[in-house]
Parts: sequence; structure tokens; C-alpha cells
Amino acid sequence: MTRPQEPHETLLDVLQRKRDGRNVDPSMGVLSGEGAQQRVKTLERAPGVQPSGDGALLPPGAPSYYGLPAIKEPVWIASVPTYLYVGGVAGATSVLGFAAELIGGAWLRGLARRCVWVGMAGDMLSAGLLIHDLGRPERFLHMLRVFRPTSPMSIGSWVLAASGAFNTLALLVGHRGGWPGTVGRAAGAGAALLGLPLSGYTAVLLTNTAVPLWQSMHRSLPLFFMASATAASGSLLSLLPHPRHEAPVLRAFRVAGKVAEVATRIAVERDAARVPEVARPLREGLPGALWTASKVCAGAGLLLELLPRRTSGVATAANVLTSVSAVAARFAIFHAGKVSSRNPQATFQGQRQGLGAAEVTGHTVASDGKPLKFPLPVVR
Amino acid sequence: MGQKGFFTDTTVCIGCKACEVACKQWNQLPDDGFHFTGMSYDQTGALGASTWRHVAFVERPVPMPGVSTAIADFSWLMMSDVCKHCQRAGCLEACPTGAIIRTEFDTVYVQPDVCNGCGYCVAACPFGVVSRREDDGRAWKCTLCYDRLGEGLTPACAKACPTESIVYGDLDDLHARAEARVEALHARGLTEAYLYGKDAANQPGTGGLNAFFLLLDRPEVYNLPPDPVVPTMKARESWTAVAMGALGMAVAALGAVWLGKERRG
Repeated sequence: MTRPQEPHETLLDVLQRKRDGRNVDPSMGVLSGEGAQQRVKTLERAPGVQPSGDGALLPPGAPSYYGLPAIKEPVWIASVPTYLYVGGVAGATSVLGFAAELIGGAWLRGLARRCVWVGMAGDMLSAGLLIHDLGRPERFLHMLRVFRPTSPMSIGSWVLAASGAFNTLALLVGHRGGWPGTVGRAAGAGAALLGLPLSGYTAVLLTNTAVPLWQSMHRSLPLFFMASATAASGSLLSLLPHPRHEAPVLRAFRVAGKVAEVATRIAVERDAARVPEVARPLREGLPGALWTASKVCAGAGLLLELLPRRTSGVATAANVLTSVSAVAARFAIFHAGKVSSRNPQATFQGQRQGLGAAEVTGHTVASDGKPLKFPLPVVR
Repeated sequence: MGQKGFFTDTTVCIGCKACEVACKQWNQLPDDGFHFTGMSYDQTGALGASTWRHVAFVERPVPMPGVSTAIADFSWLMMSDVCKHCQRAGCLEACPTGAIIRTEFDTVYVQPDVCNGCGYCVAACPFGVVSRREDDGRAWKCTLCYDRLGEGLTPACAKACPTESIVYGDLDDLHARAEARVEALHARGLTEAYLYGKDAANQPGTGGLNAFFLLLDRPEVYNLPPDPVVPTMKARESWTAVAMGALGMAVAALGAVWLGKERRG
């Protein structure tokens, strides 16, 4: 696979791409260095900057290294925010399914069964989306090679794998009598128990990074994701064909989610707004537009829900709006995080304001021995 | 074996980039091509999958005490950047496959035969060191010449450094050497000199760096974070939020079913 030739590419660039520069003749030497097995299709480019007047000299208040990013941008692709939605819905649906099974009795058996279906399908789709994102998809089983409690991704891999297995088991034997039925119902309980962390751990996964925007939300984002997952799960189940007597159950579930979503969204925004440079991507550009769209859809979805007389058309519109809002919110936070990782000031200013390690350890000086505050006094 | 590391003294760095070349050659890393970044003498830009040493060139509009230049208000800062091999490494604590390990030399090493390219270490590193190469699909970074250390050799960059700006050795020796150097510089009037990431007291967020630096200006100037934190330090609060959310979600589910039942009468 060769990259199409870029318009500004010179003959030198083309010739360079023909070789990886290691210049080791296999008949004369061996490729055994630590980086020798690194596959090369195209040469990596240095992160060039546009020379801009006095840009090379440091502005006094906000120093940086030629404005280059201080951290690496996450390499994840769109299948990750898609998973944030799908996995969240699968988790919340498993929880509702078990609640229906546990106290709903025979009357809600249909809902419980449908929840197991949705949960299973969601788990399978989630696994596919995550494997697609891997740099080496054929090694996806390495995710279950160890269990690392410090890694939300390790915890999440195990939760997702087990949840998928439990939901599948519940689907296969949950409706039977005798001991297979007991096993199936126990599996349903397991899937519900795992559905709780499944709908929220993804937020911990994002906030447990150096990405300034995501890290700044480390207290509120899990609550927002779980509230939004509840609303989205209730809306999806309401959009699927269901008997009339289930409607009050679904309505109560999704309204609880929608109200909590509005409240936790405010908390998320407040957390991000502590540092203006960090919160900027949530207001500007494509991620900002997505975030605003998500807010509008969530508000509209909640308002339509509270209308005194609701036709089936209005109900459908409310459910669609809430689902769109949940998807848009995840894409907005995902891409806004990427934008914030490219801005060195988002990293630096947050840490100078005491939102780096000082937020946990409470120390008062930065690594250069200067007191934590921003901007620093300029000494000439 | 003991704790091994680098002490990078930026005051004696002359920006020759011998460390970059030595690293590329020894580790047989692929070429990056010839590209003009347009920023000072730095055509490398940043650390990456195929760049495990990177020399930063900072042009400051400030004079350096004891150094005379043709321009009055000007001084150079050069720093050879590298993976910091943190005591609490964000990449290691994030790695879900166990590909990233701590070696017997107390360094942090990515096993290429285990890494499945999930990309979590890339986002978890507070210094922007680890990088996933798109063509290759795996994460790569400085190994602190794990293969050379096993044979009792000095890492390629430190071996090639002509001014001993990069010093490799036992961490205790390096600490003593670095402190003596800072004292000597202070005595000479360079009072800005300080050690970046020497130990947990200096940098609580990482527990100290096995590859630490002597710097002359704010960390931001060298593209280093002023108060880096291993993201895992903040995870407890996030998991508490998940537990609260789980409680809320369970109540919502049970409450919805119970309410629906009541409605039915």
C-alpha cells in the first residue's frame, strides 16, 4: 500500500519512501536491534510548524516549545466514541433487564428477554468496534492475557468479555425450566452486575489519561456517561416495538436518565471550565458544535417528554433526540479531548493552576521549584 | 542490577544530535526523511515511534550569565529529550496486555511481541513519549538500551555524547553528581539551574524520573509539563463516581419496574 503522492512532494521524498533508511544489506548484516522489526510503509514526518514572525521567541506569559503539543494526541479512531455509546446502552439495558426479571415477574418477562437480546447484541458489537480500533487486531486476545487493576482498559476488557458471555448464556438457557433456567437467570444477574461498571468505566478510561480535557472531568464524567447511558437505553428500548403495558416502566427509566443527564452535564462543564484553555474545544470548532447539538437535543428530548399530552409521534421524536444527544455527546467529548491534547497551554496552564499532581498530593510548588500559579511573574 | 537511569545536564549540551544518530543506528530505527520544520535547528520535532532521542533547541530573548554573544539579549538552551522511565509510569499502569514491563534495571520497556496496539499508553503518558506507528500498529519508545544493559554496556546515546551531557549510571551516583553540579552552577552565578524530576519530593506526580534533567528555565520552555501526574493517581475518585452512578442506575432500574407495576395496579 503506497501513499498517493502529495502535490508538494519532491523527487527526494519519493526516493526516500522507497527505503526505510536502515540501509542494512541482509547478506552483510543482521536486523536485530530493538526497533528493527518496526514495520514501515511511509516515513514518519516531523511535526513541522509554520514559522510565524516572532513565534520563535517566547511570549512572556505563556511559554511553550514553538507551540508544539506537550503530549501525544490519542490515536483512537471513530469506533471508540461509537463504542462509548453502544457499550453504555448495552450495560444499562442489562441492568433494566435484570430488574424486570427480579421484581417484574411473569408480567415483564418479555421486557427482560428483550433486554438480554439488546445487551448481548451490544456486547458483541462493542467487542467488534474495539478490536477494529487496535493497531494489531489479530492480537485482540492479548487483552485477556493479564488483569491489571490500575488499567481501566484491562478492567473494561474483562467486564465486557464476561458481560457478553453472561448475556449469551442468559439468552440461550434463561427461558428454560429446571437447572438450565437457573443457570441462565444467574447469568442474567451477572450481566446486570457487570452492566453497571460497563456503562461507566469508559469514562474512567478517558479521564485516566494525560489528555487535559478528559483528565479535568475525572470526577463528573463517569456520572454523566452513566446517566446518559440510562436515558439512551430507555429511549432505544422505547423505539423498539414493545407491548403497551411496558411503556410506564420504560418511561420512568428514561426520564430518570434524562434528568440525571442534564444535571451531570452541568457538572462536566463546570469541571472543564476551571481552565479556560482546557474548556475551549467544547465551545469551538466541530467538537464544540457537536457538544452544543448534544445539549440542544438532550434539552428538547426532556421537554417533549414532559409535555402534558404526547402523541406517538412526539414520543418517537423525544426518543430519537435523546439517542442523538447521547451519540453526539460522546463524539464531542472524544474529539474535544483530541483537540485539547494538541494545545500545549491546555496541559501547562492546568498544571500551573494546581490541577496536575497537586490536585491529588496537595503540594504547592511545580517541578521547577516555583509556586503553582499562572501566569508566572515575569522577571527581567 | 540496581536502579539505572540517565542524568541529562542541559548546560553542557552543544546540540550535536550525536545521541539521536547513535540511538537510531543502534536500535535500527527507520528513517524519518529530510523535512524542514522551520523551528531553530530542530528538524526532529518531537519524540516518536522511530525517534527515541530528540534534541530540543530553544532560542531565548534572555542573556545567560557568564556567556557572551554577539546579540545582547540572547541565549541558547539545548536539551536531549528521552523517555523518562518514571517511577510511576503512566504507560505501564495503563497497559492492559502486560506488554509494558519494569525491567531488572528499573527501566520501563515495551515488549513488541506482546503489544496489540490498543493505544492506551500513548494517551496515558504525561510527557508525550510513547507513540504508535500507524504502519506498524504497535507502541514504541526508548528501551534505555535494554539489550546493551544486559551485556553491561552503556546506552548508545550516553556512549556517543561528546560532552557528557547525557550520563548513564546507577541512580544514586547520578543524584550525587547532579546535586554537585547544581551547587557548582549556583556558585558560578547560574542560580536558575535546578533538577527536573530528580525524586518523588521534586515531582510527586511521577514519583521521580529515572531519566532526570538539569534545566535552566521553566519546564514549559523545553516542552516539559510543570507538574506532571500519572493519571492513575486520580482514578480512585473516578471509580468512586462510577460506584455512585451504579447505585443510581440500580435504583432507577428497580424503581422504574416497581413504578410500572404500581401503575398497573
